[in-house]
Amino acid sequence: MHAASRVRPLRATLERVAVFIVLAALWEWAVDIFAIKPYLLPALSSVLRSLWHNRMMLLEQALVTGGEIVLGYAAAVIGGVLMALAIFTWPLAYRMFYPVLVVFQGLPKIALAPLMIVWVGYGTSSKVLMAFLFAFFPVMITTLGGLAGTPEHLVEHFRAIRASPWTMFRRLRLPAALPSIMDGCKTAMPLAVIGAIVGEFVGSQRGLGYLILESNAQARTDLLFAALVAISLLAGLLYWAIELLARRVWWRAL
Amino acid sequence: MAGIVGSADPLEAAVRVLRVSKTFVDANEVRALDTVSFHVGRGEFVSIIGPSGCGKSTLLRIVAGLIMPDPGGTAEVFGRLQTAPSNDIGVVFQTHNLLPWLTAEANIRLAAEVQRIDAGEIRERVEAILPVLKLESFRKSYPHQLSGGMRQRAALGQALVCQPQLLLLDEPFAALDALTRDQLNVELLRLWQAIRKTVILVTHSIAEAVFLADRVLVMSDRPGRVIEDLRVDLPRPRDPSGTKSRPDFSRYVVHLGTLMGLA
Repeated sequence: MHAASRVRPLRATLERVAVFIVLAALWEWAVDIFAIKPYLLPALSSVLRSLWHNRMMLLEQALVTGGEIVLGYAAAVIGGVLMALAIFTWPLAYRMFYPVLVVFQGLPKIALAPLMIVWVGYGTSSKVLMAFLFAFFPVMITTLGGLAGTPEHLVEHFRAIRASPWTMFRRLRLPAALPSIMDGCKTAMPLAVIGAIVGEFVGSQRGLGYLILESNAQARTDLLFAALVAISLLAGLLYWAIELLARRVWWRAL
Repeated sequence: MAGIVGSADPLEAAVRVLRVSKTFVDANEVRALDTVSFHVGRGEFVSIIGPSGCGKSTLLRIVAGLIMPDPGGTAEVFGRLQTAPSNDIGVVFQTHNLLPWLTAEANIRLAAEVQRIDAGEIRERVEAILPVLKLESFRKSYPHQLSGGMRQRAALGQALVCQPQLLLLDEPFAALDALTRDQLNVELLRLWQAIRKTVILVTHSIAEAVFLADRVLVMSDRPGRVIEDLRVDLPRPRDPSGTKSRPDFSRYVVHLGTLMGLA
């Protein structure tokens, strides 16, 4: 990162784009030369065409999936932070809930997807729930680590200035834990994306995950690729938003 | 030396430590302090020296009310039994307690804000403290942007903002280079002369202890006991070159060094 920032902007941009251009050219050329069947690997140009033709439909499906991800993710962040706070504050909550959560975390959450459909139905809620399940644990565990990792000498200092437990939390433990909470939030975002897509795979009539299965069934690999592009754009956009937020917590590693 | 050591009139005492012992129990028992007693008079500057691990910091934490002594021993500050931290005591530790996400100024303000002192009053106090600590032009800087010496000055500001009657300094300049350290000691002395609060300074530098203090308490190796209570009769105001070149300064240093097994 430091080395890159010293390079002039134009050249840095070129360097970044160059690999993509070469890969794209190789793709187009290889499909043509080796006469690869379009249902196996469509040419890049036909993927781009499909992307353009179906842009409104893709946007619509992306909004569906995006909505599921954002809802599940927000619930995971709020729930994860609150659960970590409860576990950190009350030893009873720690003894009661922590073992359950750890056992639960060991469970492959993908395996839960059919059950979620049975429980909350084919609608949006099962996908939101899947995104939540995937994203919850990393947020909780990093929040817990951040709260517990507050430097002991600062805790003593706050005791010496007679800070109330609330002040201690608000002015010391929370800001001290924020860098680590932000790490959890960054880890959780791609997981929430996986959760929502898995939820759509298992049972859905809308969303990018559903679109992938549908285009697969119809052997429309070009549309499948277009959906993949849409998913990566969506995931990238969401991650970038969290990254921007995380930059406001600049005091990590100080 | 058993019994009460101290020269100040007990009624005038700011700090009275009486038969304080402290044993830490975890994996194994460690006796950190063994029946320590001493008085510190109001406005007095007392240094405590001793080998590392002799319980100096433990003693200071007991006086600060951060930890309790073993049953049987008591620590009184201004006639009040120390069972909890109090507002009239300011503490500065070797590791500064600046919050990395606050500016120097906000860090200094923090303790006063926590104690709900009126905002205007806090502003006045901070404006008074910043120039004394030479931090005026660094008020908006964050701790990681400050030098080691500036950080310790800001830490001193953290303690001063509550206008404590008693300052407890636990090797506040120990992590700094010798030059900065000497400089800060001179500034500390000037500050003390201006406000005349009671100061207890824990250090492992004999020269520093003698240069600054009215009295030097020497502690033995663990378990820590007070083995000497030395009155330092060097004239004030003191300055590094003048005071340290006096023959009696050297005599004090040699005497204390002998006691600590260094000479």
